[in-house]
Parts: sequence; C-alpha cells; structure tokens
Amino acid sequence: MSDQWTDRLSEYLDDEMAPGERRELEAHLLHCVACGSVLADLKRIVIRARGLEDRPPARDPWPGIAARIGVGGTGASPVARRLEAHPRRRWTFSVPQLAAASIALMTVSGGTAWLLHPVNGPGAVTVAAPPSSSAPQLSPSLVVPATSRTPARSYDAAVADLERLLGEGRGRLDTATVRVIERNLATIDSAIVQAQRAVAADSANVYLNSHLAETMRRKLELLRQAAALVSSVS
Amino acid sequence: MLFSMAASALAALTLLQQVDTTVPAREGQRLVVDSYGGEIDVKTWSKNAVRVEADPSPRTDVEINTAGGTVSIRTEGRRGPPSAVDLRITVPAWMGLDLSGVYTDVKVAGTRAPITVETVQGEVDVTGGEGIVSLRSVQGSVRLKGAKGRIDVHSVNEDVRVSDASGEVVAETVNGEIILERVDATSLEATTVNGDVGYDGPIRNGGRYTMSSHNGDVTLAVAESSSASVAVSTYNGEFASAFPVTLRETRKGKRFSFTLGSGSAQVSLESFQGTVQLVRPGHLHQGDNDEDHDHDDDSDR
Amino acid sequence: MTPPATGAATLQDEAIGRTDPDAVDVALAASGDAHAFERLYRGHLARIASLTRRMLGDDDIDDVVQDVFVRVWQKLGSFRGESAFGTWLHRLAVNVILGRRETLGIRRKRHLDGDAVLDSVPTRRQTPEISMDFEAAVERLPEGARQVFVLHDVEGYRHEEIGRMLGLATGTSKSQLHRARMALRQHLER
Repeated sequence: MSDQWTDRLSEYLDDEMAPGERRELEAHLLHCVACGSVLADLKRIVIRARGLEDRPPARDPWPGIAARIGVGGTGASPVARRLEAHPRRRWTFSVPQLAAASIALMTVSGGTAWLLHPVNGPGAVTVAAPPSSSAPQLSPSLVVPATSRTPARSYDAAVADLERLLGEGRGRLDTATVRVIERNLATIDSAIVQAQRAVAADSANVYLNSHLAETMRRKLELLRQAAALVSSVS
Repeated sequence: MLFSMAASALAALTLLQQVDTTVPAREGQRLVVDSYGGEIDVKTWSKNAVRVEADPSPRTDVEINTAGGTVSIRTEGRRGPPSAVDLRITVPAWMGLDLSGVYTDVKVAGTRAPITVETVQGEVDVTGGEGIVSLRSVQGSVRLKGAKGRIDVHSVNEDVRVSDASGEVVAETVNGEIILERVDATSLEATTVNGDVGYDGPIRNGGRYTMSSHNGDVTLAVAESSSASVAVSTYNGEFASAFPVTLRETRKGKRFSFTLGSGSAQVSLESFQGTVQLVRPGHLHQGDNDEDHDHDDDSDR
Repeated sequence: MTPPATGAATLQDEAIGRTDPDAVDVALAASGDAHAFERLYRGHLARIASLTRRMLGDDDIDDVVQDVFVRVWQKLGSFRGESAFGTWLHRLAVNVILGRRETLGIRRKRHLDGDAVLDSVPTRRQTPEISMDFEAAVERLPEGARQVFVLHDVEGYRHEEIGRMLGLATGTSKSQLHRARMALRQHLER
C-alpha cells in the first residue's frame, strides 16, 4: 500500500525535506500505520547498512601490488621478513621536515652549511651560498621545489601528529620507557626554546639557525622513534 | 624435554626449558636474534656452527631456525610476551649479527663481521665488528670497542662510548655524553643535546668532523701534526685552547675559525652554551674537575 | 566546507583534526618504505575490498583493489594530511572504482529486471547473522540503485556528491536511494 507520502519517506528520514513539507508528513504519520511501518523498515535498513562489516577479498592482492610498485612482496629476505614481524623504522626527512620557522638548513656533500631562504613566494626555495670564502665552488643557486605547505607548518603538523599518536599509545608502553621519552623530549624542547630565543635576537646567525634546525630534527626523530615503539607493541 | 626436527632445509628446533644446541653454519649466513627481554651474549669460536644455550622459563620457548642465509633465534611466549631469557650464543667470527630486543642487554665479543643491534631498555656492549656496525638503545648506554667500518651508534638517555675503532663514525644521544677515544675516524658526526662530546684520535687529511652539543662541552684532542680548517661556534659558551691558535676570522657572536697545518680536514665544533675546547691527545678528560666527581655534597640534587 | 572539485568526493562525517593512527606509516611510505606501505594496505584492505565488491560486484575485485593501492602508492607524495589518510584513501578508491565502472561496462541481465531480481533471494528469519544475506541482497540490487545506496547509506556520501560522481541530478540520486531501500525492505519483510 502506498500513498503520496510513501515515496517521500526516505527524504524525511534523511532530513532533506523543506520544513513545511516535513510538518505535513509528520501530521500524516500520526494516523497512517502503513507509512509508519515503512518508515520503521527504512530506519532498520539504514542502520543495517551502516553496520555492514568489511571483509577482505578471498585472495590477497598484495603480490600483484608489490610487483607493480616494484617491491619485494612476500619473497623478501629473512631479515626483511623479520622486520615485517617486528617493524623497525628507518628515519628519513624531507626538506620541509628539516625546516625551522621559515628557514631550513641543508648540508650538502661538501659538508658546508647552506642557508635556505624562501624567496619568490611559497612556490620555490632557493639555496643561497653562505658568505664564507671557504665554501666549495657550487652552482650559485639551487632551486629546491617546495611543497604547497610552508616548511614550518609541515614540521609542526608532523610533530603534532606524532605527539598525538604518542599520547594515545603511551598506555601500551611501560612507564619507564614513557618516562625516558618524556624526559628527553623535555630536554630537546628546552633546547629548542633557548635556540629560538637566540635566533630571535640574531636572525642572521648561520650557526644559530642551523643549531635550531638540527635540534628540531632531533625532536622529530625522537618522536618517530617513540611512535615506532608504540606501533611495535600495538 | 622434547625435540622435533624437520628433514627439510627449513629445519626448526623448538626447545623447552634447558637449551643447549648447536646448528651448523655456512659461510655467508647471518645470525638473527629477536629476544624480548633478558640478555643476548654473543661470543665467537673457530667452528662453523652456532651454539645456543639458555634456560628459559616454562612459559617461554626458544625457537631456532635455519633457513637460507639466516640462522635465527627467537624467544616466544606461550601466552603473552615471553619472559626474560639469557641467551648465550657462540658463533663463527665471520658471521654477521642482527640482534634485537626490548628489555634486552646485548653483549658481543670477538666478531669480525657486520653487526646491527637494537634494544629499548638495555645496554649495548660490543667488542669487534667490521663493515656496517649499527648499535642503538633508547634507555641504555652504548659501548663499542675495536670496530672498523661504518659505525653508527645511538642512544637516547645514556652515554655513547667508542674506543679503539676506525672508519666513518656517527654517534648521537640526547641525554648523555659521547666519548670517542683512540678512534681513527675518517669522518665524524657526534651530536648530543644534554652532554659533553669528546674526540681523541687522528684528524685525517680530507676528513670531515662535526661535534655538537647544546648544553655540554665539546672537546677535541688535536695532535701537533694535524691539518684542519676549524670552525668554532657557540652562543652562550666559551672557547678555550691548550695551545695557541691564530684566529683567522671572528664573526659576530662567538664564532671563530682558524687553520692548523695545511687546513686539509674540515672540523666544526659547536656548543650552544657549553665550552668548546682544544686539548692535546691523551688529555681528553683534563677539563673534568674534582667537583664533577664529588658526590659527598648532593645539595644540587 | 569548500565544495570539492568535480569527480572528487567528501564524506559527511569527515572529522579533520582527530588523531590519524596511520600518520607514521604514511610518512614512512611516502619516503619509499614498502613495509610501511604494506601495513597501510593491510589496515585498509577489507574496507576497500568491500567498497569495490559492493559497487562493482565480485568479478575483477582483485584487479580493482590492486589498481586502487597502486594509485595510492603513486600519489602518496601528494597526500597533505589535511584529512585522515583513510578518508583520502577512500576518496581515491571511489574515483578508481567509478573509472573502472565505465571501463568494465557492467551489464547484468538479471539487474535489468529491476526490483524483481530480489524475488530470487532466499528468505531468512531475521537474526543478527543475517548481515551476509543483507549484503547479498545489496549486491543484487539494480546497478544504479545499488551504487547510490552503497555510496549514501553504507559509505556516507551526500546526494550532491553522489550526483557529481555518478553524473546524476540530485533528485535522481534521491529517488534511486529510495528505490533501493524499498527493494531491500521487501526482502527483509519475507
């Protein structure tokens, strides 16, 4: 049995009706048992749909994926298989993650510190040679493509994500390890604050900027190490 | 005590309680040990075999597998994580080692092969190692002696000490000191946040040496014959030298550079608020004074 | 919220700012760590496979799931972390599936009969274990109604987004959804 409202019941259920029509339908529902029954069924269907369980495919597609992306898949070496069972982390950092505020430091193969100044807007970062006469002869400028986020936001976002992960997972670590991590994060944070104050007072100081960047990198590395510990015991 | 041994190349030995077994090892194989807690103590012998001795509790198994290029030893708990097990392992000196654990101390002596060690709450003490030598602990000191190759030693909350070693060295900790003595480094990166850094070894021509601390002192032992371009940076700290140096240039703030000999090596010494100091070889600890070792007065603690 | 670009999709209850448990593995995988990528894959495989099955059926599910994760690997460097990784992955999967839908040109004759297809679904007394039968009933819905139902009721997209994804007017999406629900209701009633 259906009436003019039966086909509108889904809209009503999904709260997509205009207020006037909604009031009319609700008045109708007060005395239409059939529509009430249909509406109840539609609610059950929506609840059932939201509760559908996900299940993996019958066959694991990973070997095909691994082959297409050029990694070892399940035929890995024993060491790699052990790493799979007990994942350990390798620490890599992109340029944005090594940046401090709007300035980042990159050490190139010559071991000389180069200062990155964001120039020409956020689209690119140009490496400028330091004023030292002992600098090795490299090309005058090296343009490093930047991501669409400024280095400072990328670093802050990475730290915030890892701190949240650590905060959520600290219950999985023993208290002694948590204490060690927290204590050392506090040590590094204190060093960062001191370095930031120093940079604020002498923003052109190459050493201070590089020291700040390095200390921030240490924080990120320790957070990742801690997050890896959390993941490995979860 | 029950034994079951498969006839295939993937032989697995699961031993209960007292463990004393020896499996053959062939050249090129690597030892992989994963022990949740306890101690991993590795020594070497001249046989091409791996001997494993342990006394695990009844709820922990020690699994030994030989497969392809690996001899692996793993502790497994029958219900939940395994209990602490002290593993005493004897291996050929040529056998590479890959040792890891959580609440695990690791001790190695006599190996002449690559070593990788990772633990969380445990000390690492390695004598030997060639090729890639990578030692890491979070809460535990890391000590390495007699290694050569690419050396990578890390702690978080404790000291890192390397001695009688040679090669490319990277040493890091956060809350501890880094001391490198009788180390012949062709390149060096030694950084800590809250602790001293000291290097006493040759400064090689063409080598690159970076030593850095935030709160601690940075001390470099310099032989008279050294040739290096040295850059010293500090913010709130001091610079001291046991011998005269001629400052080539001075920058705003406390930054100095000078040249020793032909200036061949590149040396960077940085301490945010500690003292950067130069000493002669054998005098790495001359900056320590009695106050540091006087614990009778603990008024500062 | 800024309307997404054509072909993109957003979820009704996207919660930006909650902790993303995948953050560490995403960072590692983006720098080339295949083990980290495999962990991400294993963590999200069931959801992506189920989405694929519900949208396209069981045939070719393996290929489509592969396509999704290969695309994720290729595009991981562009993930900016402004939403949770799972949300980003889901959007990408929907786009791959919809692209595949065109390529596969799915035509199932029994679905051309519309609602009548459900007459052949065996009946069961309603029990908690009926979810598999419910899922089977969903998969036997007519294609258009099924895809709208899956995207709206199972996956949580809005009609405006579904319309953009499937090339439908919003009103058509709403009527297809109601059609799907009524067909499923008939099945549940038996």
